[in-house]
Amino acid sequence: MGFTAITTVAITLFIVGVFSIIVFDIQSVLNSIEKEVEIAVYLKDNISNDLKTYLENEIKSWPEVESVDYVSKEQALEKFKAQNEGSDILKEIQGNPLPASFEIKLKDPQKVEQVALRFVDKDGKNIDGVDEVIYGKSYIRKLFSITAVTGTIALLVIIILVLATMVLIYNTIRLSIYARRKEIEVMKLVGATNWYVRAPFLFEGLFEGLLGAGIAVTMLYLLNKFLLVKGESAIIDTMHIKNLAILGSSNIVMLAYFGIIIIGGLIGILSSGFALRRYLKV
Amino acid sequence: MNMIEFRNVSKIYENNTVALKDINLVIKKGEFVFIVGPSGSGKSTFIKLIIKETPVTKGTIFIAGRNICALKSNKIPQLRRNIGCIFQDYKLLSDRTVFENIAFALEVIGKPNYVIKAQVPQVLKLVGLYNKMDSYPHQLSGGEQQRVCIARAFVNRPPILLADEPTGNLDPATSEGIMKLLSRINLIGTTVVMATHEKSIVNSMRRRVIEMEDGLIIRDQKRGVYGT
Repeated sequence: MGFTAITTVAITLFIVGVFSIIVFDIQSVLNSIEKEVEIAVYLKDNISNDLKTYLENEIKSWPEVESVDYVSKEQALEKFKAQNEGSDILKEIQGNPLPASFEIKLKDPQKVEQVALRFVDKDGKNIDGVDEVIYGKSYIRKLFSITAVTGTIALLVIIILVLATMVLIYNTIRLSIYARRKEIEVMKLVGATNWYVRAPFLFEGLFEGLLGAGIAVTMLYLLNKFLLVKGESAIIDTMHIKNLAILGSSNIVMLAYFGIIIIGGLIGILSSGFALRRYLKV
Repeated sequence: MNMIEFRNVSKIYENNTVALKDINLVIKKGEFVFIVGPSGSGKSTFIKLIIKETPVTKGTIFIAGRNICALKSNKIPQLRRNIGCIFQDYKLLSDRTVFENIAFALEVIGKPNYVIKAQVPQVLKLVGLYNKMDSYPHQLSGGEQQRVCIARAFVNRPPILLADEPTGNLDPATSEGIMKLLSRINLIGTTVVMATHEKSIVNSMRRRVIEMEDGLIIRDQKRGVYGT
């Protein structure tokens, strides 16, 4: 009887689970990229030591700033050499054309533009001693909007899937109410209480929801064990990003499993409750 | 004591059909009352209002002195446990035996097993079906099925028994047996209200007759007959 409903709950919640885990990982990838966001303030070669120290102290005093690193011309060159080892470009370099810079890390990456603009005066020119400020304006805006959009889309898809499952359970319970309508009629006529009539259907809904969720969790567990872990290690290897959901901590996976079970039970109880409200009027 | 009392009761269905118009009547404890009239005269509505299967539009109904119109929906089961109902189509569960059908009525109101085991055989003896308690409804004749229905309605010993065309599907001889059974139940002190349009039954019983037409009571006669 409830086979269709159980299967549907299982498949839907499985999709919800996979989807949530993927979205969670996308979010954590994006978050770690966000954390990398920094402002590079390139200094003019002729900057005085006083001005340099003044700037460094000033930047350190801003509350948004987490850390400031001074990179001297020499360090910059070494870095450049290390990054381009073996390349012909190194032979072309004469002297040291690279500028010294401050690398600023922020506590909240969303404030990057606000901070960067402090190096520009009212007329739109850079302040004294500063040659150029780089913080990847458009790229950062996109990144932030991607983070927000993926979150919203994920939530929408999950809500739609859950609603679809509810409609299916609702229909199953409605069918089983229909199949037992004569029994219910007699129950009502001889004075069974409303809860006595409702309880078996609510129980049926709860059972279908929980069983479906259980199957979904089992499938997720298997998938996680045999597929996702490998896939994610690949991502980590290529993108050098840590703290992914499944690998990072098993607590989050357990939480997801627990959440799916709870959602399954709720879906079952609520949808049979709705079906009863409309069709029993006891 | 007034068992059933209607005060200015009107019932208008959602499709604007007027089923009852300003009905006033009193049925005393232990009475046997026929409600007669053509189809659509309001007989069935009359019965449905008493068990609160449908709400009144206007007026008040008192059952054993209690205003049932003010009854909250969670108190309706309590009301129905005090009113037995018999139907033209018996409403038996086809996948259960005679015993189980009657036991079901006690189970759903939470009676313990030992009460069920004591009361069901007793009521089956009363209706004359003690030796058929293991039969299924389809193995019984129409008259026997109606007896099961009566047994189920009466097993909880309700003070009121409502019968909506109980002999509608039965031949005259079988109907007579059913009427005898209802009379016996009435003699024990149960108030019986029976809606019917069968002339011969009403005429042979000589009980109170309330005649309805178009939602109005057009006659209320002690020891009456079907037609005037």
